[in-house]
Amino acid sequence: MKRRDFIKAATAGAAGVGASMIGLEAVAQTLEPRVVAPSDEIVVGVIGPGSRGQSLMRRMLRVPGVRIGALCDVYAPRLTEGREITGEDTPVFDDYRRMLDEAADLDAVLVATPPGLHAAHMTASLDRGLHVYGEKIMGFTLDDCDAIVAAAQWSGKWFQIGHQYRYAPWYREALERIKEGEIGTVTHIFGYWHRNYNWRRPLPDPTLERFINWRLYRDTSAGLLAELGSHHIDIANWVFDEIPESVMGSGSVMFYQDGRNVNDNVQAIFKYPGGGTFVFSSLIGNHLVGYQINIYGTGGTVALTLQDGAFYYEPARANSAVPEELMERGVNTSASLSTEGDMPYRGPGLDIQTSEADADPNLLAVASFFDSIRENKRPYADEIIGWNSAVPVALGNMAIRSTSHVPFADHVSAPRVNVGRGE
Amino acid sequence: MLAGLLPAWAAVSLVWAAPDSLYYEARPAMGTTVEVYLYAAGAGRAEALFEAAFDEVERIEAAFSTYRPTSELSRINTYADATPVTTDPEVFALIDHALAYSRSTDGAFDITVGRLMKAWGFFRGQGRYPSREELLEARKKTGWAYVTLDSTARTVRFGKMGLQLDVGAIGKGYAIDQVARLLRAQGVEAALIGTGQSSYYAVGAPPGEAGWPVRVPAPFDHAQTLSTVYLRDAALSTSGNYEKFFELEGKQYCHIMDPRTGRPVEGMVQVTVIAPNAADSDALATSVFVLGIDAGATLLDEQAGTAALLVTGPKAQARVVSLGWPEEIAEGIQ
Repeated sequence: MKRRDFIKAATAGAAGVGASMIGLEAVAQTLEPRVVAPSDEIVVGVIGPGSRGQSLMRRMLRVPGVRIGALCDVYAPRLTEGREITGEDTPVFDDYRRMLDEAADLDAVLVATPPGLHAAHMTASLDRGLHVYGEKIMGFTLDDCDAIVAAAQWSGKWFQIGHQYRYAPWYREALERIKEGEIGTVTHIFGYWHRNYNWRRPLPDPTLERFINWRLYRDTSAGLLAELGSHHIDIANWVFDEIPESVMGSGSVMFYQDGRNVNDNVQAIFKYPGGGTFVFSSLIGNHLVGYQINIYGTGGTVALTLQDGAFYYEPARANSAVPEELMERGVNTSASLSTEGDMPYRGPGLDIQTSEADADPNLLAVASFFDSIRENKRPYADEIIGWNSAVPVALGNMAIRSTSHVPFADHVSAPRVNVGRGE
Repeated sequence: MLAGLLPAWAAVSLVWAAPDSLYYEARPAMGTTVEVYLYAAGAGRAEALFEAAFDEVERIEAAFSTYRPTSELSRINTYADATPVTTDPEVFALIDHALAYSRSTDGAFDITVGRLMKAWGFFRGQGRYPSREELLEARKKTGWAYVTLDSTARTVRFGKMGLQLDVGAIGKGYAIDQVARLLRAQGVEAALIGTGQSSYYAVGAPPGEAGWPVRVPAPFDHAQTLSTVYLRDAALSTSGNYEKFFELEGKQYCHIMDPRTGRPVEGMVQVTVIAPNAADSDALATSVFVLGIDAGATLLDEQAGTAALLVTGPKAQARVVSLGWPEEIAEGIQ
């Protein structure tokens, strides 16, 4: 589907992705009645019902005709919590292979485990003939990323990556207008995700440190570049319509010297083949700038946040509309140096208005996934979109750890440049 | 916000000697301030616990806030008058629980009361007297009996146009309960969680103490204490007519609506309820405030582990009424 068609469908709440994306059954029934027969119930198994998994489960249960049919986790309290969310005695498993073997009624699997386990869980689910909603980052290593793409394509089942901002109405509106040239040529994107929070989860028992706080250790976590930065990388890929060709980076443990070996601040600069640059910064010891993506073009800027977005425009240059009386009154002279021109712009922008601005991107993303299954339609954020952000994360971390400049061509032979962006 | 309902122990907390230390954090959330006091072994653990606690508050606010257009409740409000809206079990259960209160109070508790609140100017405002037309229009769009739940399909449907759900009178308590659950699951044995000083839930008790002391202020002079409750594994909520009100021609109109009449409740000044959990103490405080003494007493009789302390007005004839109140009540206080 062309992006423009996608937006129109979403705006109208009409057929396809749009219908269940926006208002779910409400819009579907008011604008395009669609009877969902009992046989159309989609049963989902969940591998990893931790905090992120639980959040997605709640969203999935807001979609008509979806049931959570199995839960799998090696940490028993998560299974109890998962059953509280489903409100049922959902069958539980402590081994994903058993869940895939024994839960015969599954149609799809949600994988929300730590990223080092994604490849095993996602490929096994696809191999079993199940559709997969996979949390980002898609793969932990380059090989993992390739294996998941291969499994998705071999299985003939749909894979959707958890880049929910691809489904956020204000992002889609911004991208549509950027592609139409509203801010000229985009040259730079600066993305921030700053927090003041040590990223440490409480432990009911100190022996569970590695288990619960897997984000803090390199053998289980790809760090801030993955957990936070991959969303920004995905947006940069979307804007530039390609994937990076090289990356340099830096990072350190600066704020929290508590035994972790995952950086609590990272900075990475991605260069794109067309000349564009994406600069990412994440630090978790200062909250001031929060989450921002500023997309800079020759004619203006788009500033996106987790809740909204706005357009800003550069002043006109070489303005020929000079008032005629200028020659009569002349110009003023003064000894003072004005700093005004170099002050940051602090005025308002032109807010992005969308007809469904009230939609929750996570809900839209999972609803679209179920539409893909029901209507046998490729997900918008598919395995290629997943690969395109996961590989830059892996190479970005290589650059950060080696403090070197990493050309992608040295490490990946077939970057998916021209496919899979929903074009 | 109830400025007078303060944890009485705050100033003397250092006296308690315990292996764990007492930590405190407050953050703005749910249109008020959420505060958490807890005992933990070290600031690092306390920090992680606070983060998890406030994440939970944020999760619940993101689902239930009517101030957020992206919330699940806002989605229901947008679509449920056109078609049944499927929602997740948690959201469904809280709406179901609220409607059960509507049934048991014959509509004195009503989560569709938002339109009336707006008509009386209490939505983000301090209140005003509505015109007859405004009131009529608001009453047309109010009524818990027009909310239909289908527990099999897990759907919410409105039976008349313009209905809006607002779980503010039970949702803050629910959030407190969920935070308490989370802290317990993390092994916390003593904590006090509060919202805007109007509701508290106590997990256990401070080491060596009978409970977490919570002071119920005298409604006309918050510096005076009407009663002090030692809360342990229980919740307490207070509703007062002094939280938000306006005066017109010498008469005071408070922000607590009687959905049955479409007008602010008159004659009740302050109601404090103790219950096993904060969702119930929250809902009961509002219900009893609207129902009054006799019907309120009947309602509390139906629910184990509840008690209430009421102050009726007006000020000149203020009367303190105990409905099974377990603690000492100061005499001669107004």
